[in-house]
Amino acid sequence: MRLVQEGNPRAFELLYDRHGGASFSLAYRMVGNRVTAEDVAQEAFLSIWRSKARYQPDRGSVRTWVIGIVHHRAIDALRRNLVHERRRSSAEGIEERHEAPERERTDVEAARREDARHVRDALAGLPEEQTRVIELAYFGGFSHSQIAEMLQMPIGTVKGRMRLGLEKLRKGLAEKVG
Amino acid sequence: MSVERHELLQEDVGAYVLGALDDSELRRFEAHLEECPVCADEAERLRPAAQALPRSVTPVAPPAALKSSLLATVDAEARERAGLSPRRPRPLARVADRLRTAGSSLGNLRPGMALAGACVVLLAGVATGAAGLYAIDNATESGQPRAVSRTIIAKVDKTRVPLGSGSLALPADHENGAVLRVHGLRPLEEGSVYQVWVMRGRETISQSLFTVGEDGDGAAAVTDDLQGADAVKVTREPAGGAKAPSENSILTVPL
Repeated sequence: MRLVQEGNPRAFELLYDRHGGASFSLAYRMVGNRVTAEDVAQEAFLSIWRSKARYQPDRGSVRTWVIGIVHHRAIDALRRNLVHERRRSSAEGIEERHEAPERERTDVEAARREDARHVRDALAGLPEEQTRVIELAYFGGFSHSQIAEMLQMPIGTVKGRMRLGLEKLRKGLAEKVG
Repeated sequence: MSVERHELLQEDVGAYVLGALDDSELRRFEAHLEECPVCADEAERLRPAAQALPRSVTPVAPPAALKSSLLATVDAEARERAGLSPRRPRPLARVADRLRTAGSSLGNLRPGMALAGACVVLLAGVATGAAGLYAIDNATESGQPRAVSRTIIAKVDKTRVPLGSGSLALPADHENGAVLRVHGLRPLEEGSVYQVWVMRGRETISQSLFTVGEDGDGAAAVTDDLQGADAVKVTREPAGGAKAPSENSILTVPL
């Protein structure tokens, strides 16, 4: 990361090779079309390159940091698109956008696919109403007050479901690891 | 820290780690975290669960053009930082070589678009001869090249198209038959095209579709009379074109 922020293009390429796939996948999952997902991933990686975003090792892994930047950019894109009424997730929930999965090329990718299954299993273990508010918030970029309006429920209920759902998800993930 | 305040705010912790608090609530909750170890601990405990969510996403391969576009930008900026001269722009004739209409399905576009193909063929012929000093519009029956009266530089959304640039060449004698040239745009995935629009008051009129080569260069015809028009714009749309722009323009030529 130090080399990237010192302006080394080859280090940047390596960073992209390691995290570009996950970044694009998250962006695509959130914005729902490839063109905007490309924009999001491009903006995120260029902000890293231009040192507008600084990695702090004590705050987590490089991957978590990169994905966090992509997430913020995707929310920005969703808000821009809300104005444009291009694509808005319905109150029914955020549907997974299915596409031919990336080909498994390495053991690392196979391990990540397995990890993804674990996280999905843990999510599937939550009550549906908790999963819904969590997905609307994280993947849809909606605030709790927007979700409350969409689902026609009190804000306190939405907040409570988020909190309970995350606690349950944390335990579910810990059990998988354990 | 008062107990009442803690009880009021503790329920925000889930929305906080999910990034779902409004701005004012976020500031209020972050101030609370400074003074409330209970909520700070809970936020740290729940954060890994929120950070696990992107790992559940089905992997989708990014287009190869994304990496090549990023690396081109990064290389160019690294050269600039090192005080090296930027890469020489490609000759205009190369632009004309790449000139093409990208849409085979034009059914959902205005009738005027059908003329774009004729313009494209003529322009390609001119660019190889007069090196872009002239443009020919589709209405030229004699086949004589028409002098370009002025060239307008496009405004580009540098956030989305960091290396993009473009210009619109307007013919001298009247205002239709303009040609838009672009550089540094990202080659789009199959199934997507760039689409040119003319903005006139509240009206948005489709003009033509185009793609760019691996070097990001391309050109497109503007078939409408531009007298009284406000701008020429470019957006990215599904193959075959859209009836109306589905995103903010990535490139705008103010008229």
